[in-house]
Amino acid sequence: MLGYIPVYRKLITVTLILSLLLITAVLLGLTSGSSGDTGAAWQLLLSRGAPDATLETIIWQLRWPRVVLAAAVGAALSLGGLVFQALLRNPLAEPYILGVSGGSAVGAILGILAGFSLFPGLAFSSFAGSLSVLLLVLLLSKRREGSGDALLLGGVMVNAFCGAIIMFLISVSKTVQVQKIIFWLMGDLSAAGTNSLPLLFGILPCFLLIFLLAQPLNLLLTGRESASAMGVNVAAVSLVLLLTASLMVSLTVCLSGLIGFVGLTIPHVLRLILGPDHRVLVPACILTGASYLILCDLLARSLPSHGEMAVGIVTALVGAPLFIMLLWRERR
Amino acid sequence: MKRTVLLLLMAFLLTRPALGRELVDQLGRKVDVAEPLTRVVSLIPSLTETSFEVGGGPVLVGATHFATFPEAAALLPRVGSYVAPDIEKIVKLRPQLCLAIRDGNPKASVERLEALGIPVYVFDPKSLEDVVDSVVRLGEIFRTETQAKILAAGYRLRLERSARQLDGLKERPRVFFQIDAQPIFSAGSDTFLHQLLVRSGAVNLAGDRSGYPRYSWEELLVLKPEVVILASMGGGYSDQELRARWLAWPQIPAVRNGQLHVVDADLFDRPSPRLIDALEYLIGLLHPELAGIQ
Repeated sequence: MLGYIPVYRKLITVTLILSLLLITAVLLGLTSGSSGDTGAAWQLLLSRGAPDATLETIIWQLRWPRVVLAAAVGAALSLGGLVFQALLRNPLAEPYILGVSGGSAVGAILGILAGFSLFPGLAFSSFAGSLSVLLLVLLLSKRREGSGDALLLGGVMVNAFCGAIIMFLISVSKTVQVQKIIFWLMGDLSAAGTNSLPLLFGILPCFLLIFLLAQPLNLLLTGRESASAMGVNVAAVSLVLLLTASLMVSLTVCLSGLIGFVGLTIPHVLRLILGPDHRVLVPACILTGASYLILCDLLARSLPSHGEMAVGIVTALVGAPLFIMLLWRERR
Repeated sequence: MKRTVLLLLMAFLLTRPALGRELVDQLGRKVDVAEPLTRVVSLIPSLTETSFEVGGGPVLVGATHFATFPEAAALLPRVGSYVAPDIEKIVKLRPQLCLAIRDGNPKASVERLEALGIPVYVFDPKSLEDVVDSVVRLGEIFRTETQAKILAAGYRLRLERSARQLDGLKERPRVFFQIDAQPIFSAGSDTFLHQLLVRSGAVNLAGDRSGYPRYSWEELLVLKPEVVILASMGGGYSDQELRARWLAWPQIPAVRNGQLHVVDADLFDRPSPRLIDALEYLIGLLHPELAGIQ
């Protein structure tokens, strides 16, 4: 038990610091937007200045759902990345690269074409898509056990296949739907509305479950045999974690579209700074992933002089070079 | 005494909450329109254009990108594009009403605005008659009924005249309308362009398909269009380049007989009363012999 005390201390310190980061990100997200007037927004949040019903609507009914959605998607994607990386013991595992996002995208696009509503239709079809891809990838890697990159290879292949299906679906669909699909493929948070918020409550239990399984996850990292020797039901824990992570990812993907590199960059940076203990990494990933995507979305909203950019472009533009830099430094 | 009454009356008129009117939009939905109406945002260039035409221009406080006609419309604050309206900018303008088109603006944006308490009057023009009807409806909205009705009557007269001109027409040329050049797209049977072609006495070669179908040169060589109409700016090409791409195929009758025509895309791709100009222009182009027949 003695060894646990520093962990708790570290957990609390890290959580506090990262919560401050998240709060800052949320405040920044609420105060800037396409209609300008950042100063007035700050005054309104600090309840100074004259009450302004228009600004209030803009902040609470337009920006707030968007910030919450960005936070939820960012948290789910980076936590998903962390879980996949630990479970598959592969530093490149990430929902996007493993094809889970792609499968979820195929499911969701089929849903869009079928005219499903967001919930339960779209959420369910995207979950079904991600789950079937995950199963396919796992089966592929099972058959080629021994070669370490089997899983990744399977993921890459399945992802490419999903890409082909998506392109096929786009080429046969109507103009109006194509626009919707393309926006969605680039990863777009502009659809955030107050009606999508209830869906996000579904991911909170996922966070909790993964946090509770953080210690078994640590043991799994030492290898399947040693983990099971230490009393971890490896099969059950892996299955629960995979299902939870996929559910979490598809719930957010159906709302936000494809957003890459969040699940790769955030866990890697955090592991580099905080060490490999998942009891600290899980909450850290949630908080940092949330802040990161809020800030990326802020850039996506404010960079173009008119209109806005898809947030997926920003995460890739920021995330890919960051990741390459990390790889570079690790090599040396 | 009189002054007190007058003051009271004025106070009453000034403090009285704005009374709304209930209008029914082209989808048959009830829309509350504030009275007096002073702040309207149009979410699509065609409605911006038509609003100016019926005299609603001064009431418009926002428009979308590409709303460049008439010139005054180009000066309005922009609220994103019609496919992706910027809800935040719209809310900031505090409109009492937004104008939208069903097949143009995303349904989600309309629902979003209504959820935020901004009524949206949705138009759904399917034919030239519907476009004329939207003129009357905009007149109702902007309280410029008389002006709108006069305009609409004029448009109806022109539509009737163009129909009369085609009476007894024997030959209908087989026309291919190219909307975009690379890849080549045309307009299928459920589009305004199809209606324009049919009502100008042409056979639309893309009329057997729906939406905006894509064509290969191979198909075009088989189709053998007698007249080819090229929408300007297709694929970002200049008029000359647009024609040059076709001139490489002298096997096609239209090319051989010099029946390649470049037309102003703006006139043809917006469901506004300018479509009637487009119709008359097409009739003149396809049947020069009918010119002058009343």
